[in-house]
Amino acid sequence: MADTATPVLELRGITKRFPGVVANDAVDFDLRKGEVHALLGENGAGKSTLMNILYGLYRHDEGEILLHGKPLDIDSPHEAIAAGIGMVHQHFMLIPVMTVAENIVLASEPTRGNVLLDMSAAEQRVRELAERFKFRVDPRARVEDITVGQQQRVEILKALYRNADILILDEPTAVLTPQEAIELFEILKELVAHGMSVIFISHKLNEVLEIADRITVLRRGKTVATVPREGATEADLARMMVGRDVLLRVEKQPASTGETLLHVEGLRVVDDRGLEAVRDVSLEVRAGEIVAIAGVDGNGQTELIDALTGLRRPAEGRITVGGREMTHASAHQFLEEGVGHIPEDRHRRGLVLEFSLAENLVLHDYAKRPYATRGFMSPRRVLDKARRLLEQFDVRGGTPSTPASALSGGNQQKVVIAREVDRDPRVLIAAQPTRGLDVGAIEFVHRRLVEQRDAGKAVLLISLELDEVLSLADRILVIYEGRIVGEFGPSVTEEELGIAMTGGRREAVA
Amino acid sequence: MNAFAGTVDRYAQTPRRVAWAGIVVGTLAFWLALPPVQARAPWVPIVVGLLAVACGIWALTRDVGRLAWGAVAVGLIGIGLGVLATRSSTGHLGSVVTWGSLIGSTLVWATPLAYAAVGGMVNERSGVVNIGLEGMMLAGAFFGCLGADKFGSWEMGLLIAAAGGAGFALLFAFFAIHLRADQIVGGTAINFLALGVTGYFFIQVYGQNGTPGDLPRIPNVNIGGLHEHTFFGDAIGHLNIMIWASFVLLIVAHVGLFHTPLGLRLRAVGEHPRAAETVGISVYATRYVAVTISGILAALGGAYLSIGFVGSFGENMTAGRGFIALAAVIFGNWRPFGAYAAAILFGASTALSFRLAVYSDAASVLFQALPYVLTLIAVAGVIGRSIPPAAVGRPYTKQ
Amino acid sequence: MTEPTNRDPVQGGQVEVDAPTQEPGGYAPSVAERLAFYQRAGGVVTPLITVILAFFAGGLVVLATGHNPLRTYQAVWAGTGLNWFFHVGNYHIDIPFTGHHVFFWWNTDTNGLAAYNLTQTLILTTTLILTGLAVAFAFRCGLFNIGGQGQYTAGAIVSVWVGSSWAHMSQGLHVFLAIALAMVAGAGLAAVAGFLKATVGAHEVITTIMLNWIAYWVGSFLFGRGGPLQNSADISVPISNDVTPSGKLPVLWGNSDLQALHVGFFIALGALVVFWLMLNRTTLGYQVRAVGYNPEAARYGGINVARNYVYAMAISGAFAGIGGAADILGWQYRLGVLDIQVSNIGFIGIAVALLGRNTAVGVGLAALLFGALVNGTSTRGLDASIFPPELAGNLTLMIQALVLLFVGADVLVLYIWQARRHLRLGRRPAAPARPEGTA
Repeated sequence: MADTATPVLELRGITKRFPGVVANDAVDFDLRKGEVHALLGENGAGKSTLMNILYGLYRHDEGEILLHGKPLDIDSPHEAIAAGIGMVHQHFMLIPVMTVAENIVLASEPTRGNVLLDMSAAEQRVRELAERFKFRVDPRARVEDITVGQQQRVEILKALYRNADILILDEPTAVLTPQEAIELFEILKELVAHGMSVIFISHKLNEVLEIADRITVLRRGKTVATVPREGATEADLARMMVGRDVLLRVEKQPASTGETLLHVEGLRVVDDRGLEAVRDVSLEVRAGEIVAIAGVDGNGQTELIDALTGLRRPAEGRITVGGREMTHASAHQFLEEGVGHIPEDRHRRGLVLEFSLAENLVLHDYAKRPYATRGFMSPRRVLDKARRLLEQFDVRGGTPSTPASALSGGNQQKVVIAREVDRDPRVLIAAQPTRGLDVGAIEFVHRRLVEQRDAGKAVLLISLELDEVLSLADRILVIYEGRIVGEFGPSVTEEELGIAMTGGRREAVA
Repeated sequence: MNAFAGTVDRYAQTPRRVAWAGIVVGTLAFWLALPPVQARAPWVPIVVGLLAVACGIWALTRDVGRLAWGAVAVGLIGIGLGVLATRSSTGHLGSVVTWGSLIGSTLVWATPLAYAAVGGMVNERSGVVNIGLEGMMLAGAFFGCLGADKFGSWEMGLLIAAAGGAGFALLFAFFAIHLRADQIVGGTAINFLALGVTGYFFIQVYGQNGTPGDLPRIPNVNIGGLHEHTFFGDAIGHLNIMIWASFVLLIVAHVGLFHTPLGLRLRAVGEHPRAAETVGISVYATRYVAVTISGILAALGGAYLSIGFVGSFGENMTAGRGFIALAAVIFGNWRPFGAYAAAILFGASTALSFRLAVYSDAASVLFQALPYVLTLIAVAGVIGRSIPPAAVGRPYTKQ
Repeated sequence: MTEPTNRDPVQGGQVEVDAPTQEPGGYAPSVAERLAFYQRAGGVVTPLITVILAFFAGGLVVLATGHNPLRTYQAVWAGTGLNWFFHVGNYHIDIPFTGHHVFFWWNTDTNGLAAYNLTQTLILTTTLILTGLAVAFAFRCGLFNIGGQGQYTAGAIVSVWVGSSWAHMSQGLHVFLAIALAMVAGAGLAAVAGFLKATVGAHEVITTIMLNWIAYWVGSFLFGRGGPLQNSADISVPISNDVTPSGKLPVLWGNSDLQALHVGFFIALGALVVFWLMLNRTTLGYQVRAVGYNPEAARYGGINVARNYVYAMAISGAFAGIGGAADILGWQYRLGVLDIQVSNIGFIGIAVALLGRNTAVGVGLAALLFGALVNGTSTRGLDASIFPPELAGNLTLMIQALVLLFVGADVLVLYIWQARRHLRLGRRPAAPARPEGTA
């Protein structure tokens, strides 16, 4: 299919810097007519930034964009649309309370006499479009009443209605069921057959290999390579995608495990949209071991952690901590039962940024002696604790009364870890504990986690970073689409893990 | 009570119709005890009311929710009021319930609310909360007087009122939209500002004597052939132009909001501004326009109050009507017909409260709390929940 | 690989364009989100600029309508009674029982006009502190309590009812009972809004507005003609019975027939201390602040967010309720329908709290400012030969409004503060003073 030589779209040397980070570093990318070109890379590799530049949501600092060989300046999504570029965002840009047709024609509505909306004409045009590309949608249905897969089709129709000939799909299968993903692929093949060009952003190897004509791998803001699908293997792609320059290894003794402290059986958890995010997960973590849950972001990890810490009610299944039934316990009860939790987002959840470090350090224990007696807090004891912990955990850049927002990410994370570890939990749940940290801070966090293991705690590590998982874990569970799809020992290779994490080497996704 | 609001619903089925019937029958229970039928036996409203409750309960079992609860409530209220009416003296009943003039004065009281409520609905639909409706109304009332007085014509009064309302609205819009100030704080500020500005210039211009007695008034439309003390004569025979215009406004608002591209875009901005922006709609411009429209409409409502109805201006003469209008927006579930119907309901409660003084002064005062209690119940979701536009109250930042 | 520095889905430049996260009943959830910003930005600088701007704009209106702004503000200043503090000179203090006196540099005249004006200013300050705290406390929990007026009215209604009943009670007990029940009334009314927020997610701004008007009409009903609490002496006057002598607060300064400064002033100062202690020294205050800053982190910390909404609103309402009681038992001694209908002291509390940045000290100072302003422009305080008080009262409203407008737009004020640099460099305003998020 992808045989035309002149690219429809070309990105040359695109560089985009954010304070402190280079999100895109001289990225080259080209799209030919009638091809599906996959953009593959880990979270944070710079895929979304690149596409947001193309869609006019961001200005690039360097480089140029060529459309049909002519330089193009895109300042807003509106201009992108005018240039024939359509984008299906990961979070749909749809208005839930409006109908499918209303969403599609919004801002270029058919009218009667230039004044009144002509909804029947709109519905008619939507129906025609849908028929041409073999879609099934009801133009009169309200968007909130249709499935996520159908919503995505509405997004695609929105682009088609605006005569897009280039379609960007940002992680389109992240929100889909396997069956819906297959249907999406059918639609994409139909689009390409009609001469459209598709940019398909993904980090799932199996689907990239299934749908793409060519694959460009992005790592840390740089283009690693562009390869045709023919001849590409999962192993190659995984290496290109996750390959690391520095491999961190942590010195540690073999685990000496004790009793099971965290036991999960048949757990099912529903996410905010009401979709099942955790599907029948069973696992156990014993004293003195680190169990890692590896997986690509958005495969149910967040919901799993929430359920294991009392922040979200499980729909089904059973959770016990140290033999005690905790399935429907509150966050407070989990804390009392000795479950420590290093949350995945320290800004959203782990810290009250406006609070002082001292106040943050007693977030779980502010009401307990010696920090409070009969409802009155003792600032002196809170400060004493803070001084001790800041010293012990080597937190730099602040005194106990500094607001947490003033610290660097690494030091903020140290505060979180200090708080959780100092409570001497039996079970420690560490969710992406090194997210956004520099190498030094990462090492610190890793050492602390191993210390906790050696002190006989049950440590559950949830991580997106393969080398972290490999260097810390005694056992590795891989989560994919809410299920535990494999268990490995610490000697597993990155490639094997990478393939399992991206749904490879399994029966077809359905 | 988004009664009229429900556009022809997509799941229009029998249970909904039964619930509607329940509401009608419940109203009937009360009506039967009133003139002209004036049943004097308590069992009449009780039996009819129970019928309405039965309709409601049946609809409830069929999952109709809000409407069904409404039928049950109307039925019970119908019984209560109906029984009360049967025990009241016929003389009192006759003086309170003269349908024609009751409808007429309901429209008079409802109209200022209706203008402000439709305006408030427009800006809430664009995602801006306008607590400042009260202030914009007050500005309209004062500038209406000022314009009518200085230019000697009520038309100019309306024009100046609209300009005054638009001015306050633009100031609010600038702070709420461009500077992304908190909309609640900004609205509260507008209320204070309007109170201060109108009070200040009122004293400055008119001093202690108040507005002149010969202020040009917005005329009434006297329909020939409809005489006083007849039903139609009292109800619609001598209504103000502004009341008739409010019916037109209602239609225009409904069509504009739901049947024009601009209305669709306005609603999109209020529901999901980012989505609107990505298809090329300017969120800021849309919100500016919406807030300005609401300022103009609220001001027209205020001007009706001063140069249409009362014929003079007094400091703080709107006395909280802007807040009732806000309540009407919510109670009317952010729909033109709903907001208008709520305004009529609240207007009726005011009209009625004056007449209830025949029974008791105190009761007539307490009756005025009714709009607020009803709205509180509506937002509390006891009888189905009022759902605001998703992005309302959130300042929007351009990408 | 990058640092998510932005947790605000609305304001920031986050690229992951997100659907608006809809709160249950999500009416205007911006308060919690921007609370942090309010507290952080600009210390005392923004409030000061805010006030200066507002007075400047007010002065322009005065000028434009043919009056002299400087002389007007001078007269207002005199009307506030604050000039009492600046009457430095040759005074003396009598030494009791001796007939001797010693010379003293500071004003000792406690009966003159300035002293009288000062007492009036402080009476207003008393109430404004309490209604300001009512807004501030809820704000610290991320809630916008616009219902201070209604809660104040509820407190006034209950205190006048209690204060005018049970004449035989001992003074201490009677006053205590009246204040305590007024507090409960204010708390109860506010708690309705807190409860609705916690359970069904009804937005507190809407519910408290409705409760304001319900309190307004219920009060008008109770004391109106034929109302159950109308005075027993003259049924043509819509007013309550008088508070019995045992129910009145002791007078501190001045003649109680001419509205003297009462002990309630110390109650208000005490309330400031309690507010500070409660927020900063109790576990409840810790919870409230945690919820206000970051409800999600509070939940993670094991704090029951919904329960704190109810508590915070109730405590807020309690402050306003005490405010109502202080006015009734301190100097009003009776409550008429008109009093209820013209009062806006609860609304001024919003300006007090926001200008005072929701801190104890700030609320105290802002309450003094607005108390002085309201009194200085009142018929009693202002010299009518210089500027008509009827105009001045409205000028006060305008200044309050402008303060609110500018306080709500810190961005603008900060921008003006930094304007020098911007002007020099000819740059466009860097509108959001927030950290930019990265991809």
